[in-house]
Amino acid sequence: MATHYELPANLSAEKLIATLSEKVEIDHFSKQYFLKTFYDSFDWRLYKQGLSCEFNRSKQTSSLQITNRKNGDLVASTILFDVPSFSKQFNPGKVRQTLEATLEMRALLAICTLECDAYHLNIVNEDGKIVLHLLIEEFELLKNRLTLIPVKGYDKIAERIAEMVTGLGLTAVEKPVLLEALKLQGRHPKDYSSKLDIHLTPEMRADVASKYIFSYLLRTIRVNEQGTIADIDSEFLHDFRVAIRRTRVGLSQIKNVLPEDTLARYREFFSWLGQITGETRDLDVYLLNFEQYKKKLPTVIRQSINPLQHFLTAKKLKSHKQLARKLRSSKYLSILEEWEDYLSSTPPQNPTEADAKLTIKELADKRIWKIYKQVIKEGEIIDRHSPPEALHKLRKTCKKLRYLMEFFQHLYPERRVYKLIKRLKNFQDVLGDYQDYATQQERLKQFSEEMQSINTPSKTFMAMGVLIQDFETRKAKARDCFSSQFAAFKRAENHTDFHALFVPKKP
Amino acid sequence: MKVLALYSIKGGVGKTSSAVNLAFNAAQAGYRTLVWDLDPQGASSYYFRIKPKIKGGSKDLMAGKRDLDELIKGTDFDNLDLIPADFSFRNLDLLLDDKKKPTRQLKKRLKPMANEYDFVFLDCPPNISLLSEAVFEAADLLLSPIIPTTLSLRTLAQLTKFIEDHDLSKQNLMPFFSMVDGRKKLHKDIMQQVLADYPAMLHAAIPYASDIERMGLERKPLAAYSGKSRSAGAYHELWREILARTVL
Repeated sequence: MATHYELPANLSAEKLIATLSEKVEIDHFSKQYFLKTFYDSFDWRLYKQGLSCEFNRSKQTSSLQITNRKNGDLVASTILFDVPSFSKQFNPGKVRQTLEATLEMRALLAICTLECDAYHLNIVNEDGKIVLHLLIEEFELLKNRLTLIPVKGYDKIAERIAEMVTGLGLTAVEKPVLLEALKLQGRHPKDYSSKLDIHLTPEMRADVASKYIFSYLLRTIRVNEQGTIADIDSEFLHDFRVAIRRTRVGLSQIKNVLPEDTLARYREFFSWLGQITGETRDLDVYLLNFEQYKKKLPTVIRQSINPLQHFLTAKKLKSHKQLARKLRSSKYLSILEEWEDYLSSTPPQNPTEADAKLTIKELADKRIWKIYKQVIKEGEIIDRHSPPEALHKLRKTCKKLRYLMEFFQHLYPERRVYKLIKRLKNFQDVLGDYQDYATQQERLKQFSEEMQSINTPSKTFMAMGVLIQDFETRKAKARDCFSSQFAAFKRAENHTDFHALFVPKKP
Repeated sequence: MKVLALYSIKGGVGKTSSAVNLAFNAAQAGYRTLVWDLDPQGASSYYFRIKPKIKGGSKDLMAGKRDLDELIKGTDFDNLDLIPADFSFRNLDLLLDDKKKPTRQLKKRLKPMANEYDFVFLDCPPNISLLSEAVFEAADLLLSPIIPTTLSLRTLAQLTKFIEDHDLSKQNLMPFFSMVDGRKKLHKDIMQQVLADYPAMLHAAIPYASDIERMGLERKPLAAYSGKSRSAGAYHELWREILARTVL
């Protein structure tokens, strides 16, 4: 039985209520003007999870409801006056539990708002017991809607009313109001994702396709820019930085395709961008993981680490302020605009760069295979005595390979390329862990030096010492895993698969 | 899920009104709450305007032909559902007696509800029977309303003895005062004495008040029509005290 219906244009809410009240007993009836605002994270985490989150506010009351997007079932609701930005700021309960599991570190953002007159009515039986709730919403710009909210154990009346309203010309709808509201704004759900999804075709000319890739990354930089400046949540800066890093890999790895003098300039610019965003991101990572760090400490000294959190929060605020200033600077704005202009300009018909007229598939094969071989070479010379720098170098080469494979993924059979990306990702994890622990350990030592001058209790240093030691242990564990993970990556089967996919058979 | 049984050997001590009002408080606090009306008189079903009738009666229920979930009715209030009474519940003892391990039957029926509800309130009929033993087995807490009179104190002593005799010492018995008349010196004296003798006794006391009696006319929980009254406040206090002593 459908529970959501659209009213025909010639049937007003009041007319519908009048018709129904002739056939069933309607007890409570109220009409309220509401502002209905839909919320989700910037990357649509709730939507992707099949949920819809709406905040309904009237003069008298306001409440937040999370519903199943497909069948409209209520998952959780709470009375609220303002919607907090983060799930952890909600009071404990089902709403918070649902949001925390889905949103993690992402903020809740208002996506769109609709004005509506909402009619709430209850149908009662001969004992005056509510057996069905009805909600009729009259929208300014959308078709009016009727929602049946059945009461457990009283299904028959809901079925009867469903039949009755269908007879009155109402049509069952499955599409939630959210989709209609987004349509009004010319938007559609999931219009942002941090995952690369660049639709290239194998025959595209290399220089044209390269510009296409860079334009895609530039869009990601642009859409995350304001969220980074406003520090809405830490993921804006994260995605902003990933797009910069990918651009840098593109600039260094897509060779002999675009004019070298042009690329050199932008290489320098994106390297600068990477640099100015690094500190704030590092601090974000510390703050995001802080509770986990805390849990690693013995209970007796757990609270002693709190001054570090205050120190990091203050440091992050300062660092973010400087970053925001730089992202508003004329240097940033003008060079990025020039980059945009350059990317949108038509490539010359007869480019002078050696590989510009290759097809993008030819170029992709060539670059991926070369970097793959480099990964193997760098990995093979690493043994138990190699310095950390050797692992760091290999980690960077793997990242280049990964980004290249992701840029060009649509040029290859989907399943085969995903399988190889997944294997590479598994190998990268161990290198990433090693590097992360090493960096975090080093940074923690630096923080400890900086905190000497600000009257920090000795217990805090003791707790930080425990964390530094913990990073040492974890680093050593990751280092121990290296050889087995590398062996898994370079095994014959993987090598054959890489060869088969990226080294084209000669005709 | 915690199962709280409103139980007394004596009738007319305020079991049903306590079950209904405590459940209402739990539901209002956001806990998913279920009331199971086990009393064939169906008073708590009546307070929620729900017909005291279940599909297949107690026979089908005890034969395992119907899941408890099929019998649940939504009340007019958020987070609050009810399993109505049925006149056939008067024979529950006989049906239980036919089963193997009769005292475990209620617990078994409730088990599948564990993820659906945070609190279940059992509104029990006034007697000591096989059903009472099944209630003791299923409940995490026994909430027993006591009118501060000498006769009621005897009842409390009987209940305590019964629990001891049946090796139900783990049973968490929490008596509380009900139908307290603040003007009566006897009530005050007895309350003082009992609070000193029974450490498990809850401190919040439900007054003898006409607005509680009006529940029968209003057919809804007290706080739904008289939220700011002293009696509604007393149930709220009682609920808070129970919650504070209950580990979810």
